[in-house]
Amino acid sequence: MVRYSPAMDLGRWWVGYAWAAGATLACTLAGVAMRPRFDLVNIAMVYLLAVVVVALRFPRGPAIAAAVLGVLAFDFLFVPPQGTLTVDDVQYLLTFVIMLAVALVISRLVESVRRQAAAQAALQVEAETERIRSALLASISHDLRTPLAVMAGASSSLADSGERLSATERHALAQSVFDQAREMSEHVAKVLQMTRLETGAIRVERDWAALGEIVGSVLARLAERLAEHRVIVELPDDLPLVRVDATLIEQALGNLLENSAKHTPPGTVVRIRAQRREGELVVTVEDYSGGLSDGELERVFAKFHRGTVEGGGTDIGLGLAICRAIVRLHGGRAWAERVPAGGTAFRFTLPLEQAPAVPPEPAPD
Amino acid sequence: MAEPRPRPTILVVEDEPEIRRFLRAAFGVEGYRVAESATGRRGSIDAATHKPDLAIVDLGLPDVDGIEVIRRIREWSPMPIIVLSARVHERAKIEALDSGADDYVTKPFAVGELLARVRAALRHAVRAGSGASILRFGPATVDLERRIARRGEAEVRLTPIEFRLLAALAKHLGMVVTHRHLLTQVWGPTHAGDTHYLRIYMKQLREKLEADPVRPRYLVTETGVGYRLLADE
Repeated sequence: MVRYSPAMDLGRWWVGYAWAAGATLACTLAGVAMRPRFDLVNIAMVYLLAVVVVALRFPRGPAIAAAVLGVLAFDFLFVPPQGTLTVDDVQYLLTFVIMLAVALVISRLVESVRRQAAAQAALQVEAETERIRSALLASISHDLRTPLAVMAGASSSLADSGERLSATERHALAQSVFDQAREMSEHVAKVLQMTRLETGAIRVERDWAALGEIVGSVLARLAERLAEHRVIVELPDDLPLVRVDATLIEQALGNLLENSAKHTPPGTVVRIRAQRREGELVVTVEDYSGGLSDGELERVFAKFHRGTVEGGGTDIGLGLAICRAIVRLHGGRAWAERVPAGGTAFRFTLPLEQAPAVPPEPAPD
Repeated sequence: MAEPRPRPTILVVEDEPEIRRFLRAAFGVEGYRVAESATGRRGSIDAATHKPDLAIVDLGLPDVDGIEVIRRIREWSPMPIIVLSARVHERAKIEALDSGADDYVTKPFAVGELLARVRAALRHAVRAGSGASILRFGPATVDLERRIARRGEAEVRLTPIEFRLLAALAKHLGMVVTHRHLLTQVWGPTHAGDTHYLRIYMKQLREKLEADPVRPRYLVTETGVGYRLLADE
């Protein structure tokens, strides 16, 4: 990994030259201090070190500048006769040439490593884009085609032979069209939301919100999906308000709950907790079945990570990736941990700010 | 048998013919008369000529903004207006409510949900803004006029602000009320942006009136928009 100097990225070309001058000055001071006890060759080595440092961090220009300045300073101050640029001993000319050569060689090496790293990074981005594109296509073909097939089949039965079906059968078919349509709509909404989060097309509208209310509204929205699980809510009574986009945080929390409900067997517990910690609120959704391997704990929050669904099948992981993206937009973190007794804790943090005071009202008499 | 009453007319302003089709069917079965407008411009005119009891306006109309249609109707009529909005437009919902819409339903929706909103809005219109004065929340009752709240046999003490907040919500019983509207009504226009007041007072009210304050049945949160007060009939 090559560290790009931020100065280079900003295009402030003079920073490199300032470094060259500064490094030369520092070497000169060091050289003056060393002079009484060290050979001239060792002082030349100090200058060489400056050239190496500058060449590693900056392009060729500053590196050559460091070499030239170093040679001049060394020659003027240390090489006899001191105080002039004349050189008595020819061997020092060789020192100069070597310093210049080192500057050029190192700049060149660094340049080529940088170029390779950039090419590598571009390749990686391309590979990631390709992976997402193919996952998206797979997702569309699998997760949308199945419900479409059900909808087409069920609705055509209703249209063609509705009058010959019993009322119960008609109702079941119509209900399945509705369920599949809603499923699909949720799915499309997630794909769109992920795209918007990726492209930065989302405006975070922060306002004071109570986590308890967000939990209440997400439980109401997901009542059907969570019906087969025992949802336990543990919120401390004195939970501070958070300044967030409540709609987005509701989605983030909802995605965690949906994820737990989907991946654990019916009848098991899903627990929602919140805890105040130093400067932040930690929100946790815990489930108590299965549990993930170390690798999966890392990967679950990645886009399009496919997980196995309780009762067979797979689902594309967008929910957790959306959760993480939303939490990051708010300056928080999202991660998964193993629960000691078996199961997974999905956590995210929200930074806490001091909420403005609410004017006190006398207690009712 | 229900006694005969005039069939309420509902105006549907929606450009998608397929959506108008199922709305026509669903409302017809429930005994409503339906008038349809395929454009916003037509909708404003039809609202004036048909004088419907309620209007359903799609926010994503091709010709004029749905919000513009709401404003034009509001210039001359207090008829309930329910907005159909796509999920992406959180802001548009609030803007529509602030422009005079009474409630919204997010697309895609189940017809049952829309019918429930329509019934709540028509009942509200009948009460003509006087609001309900006695509210029943399961075992709790609140008499807004006499300012008495009970839970079972025990009296529950509500502060003056808590009563004012309940009254502001009760004026739109069954319908959504935006944060801005509530704050303006209860604390005054200078506090229209102080959402944290609402968070604190709604929590207090829920603790006093709801069986499970985290899963409220009556003081319902509409995330990002406002609150909705439901009550047992």
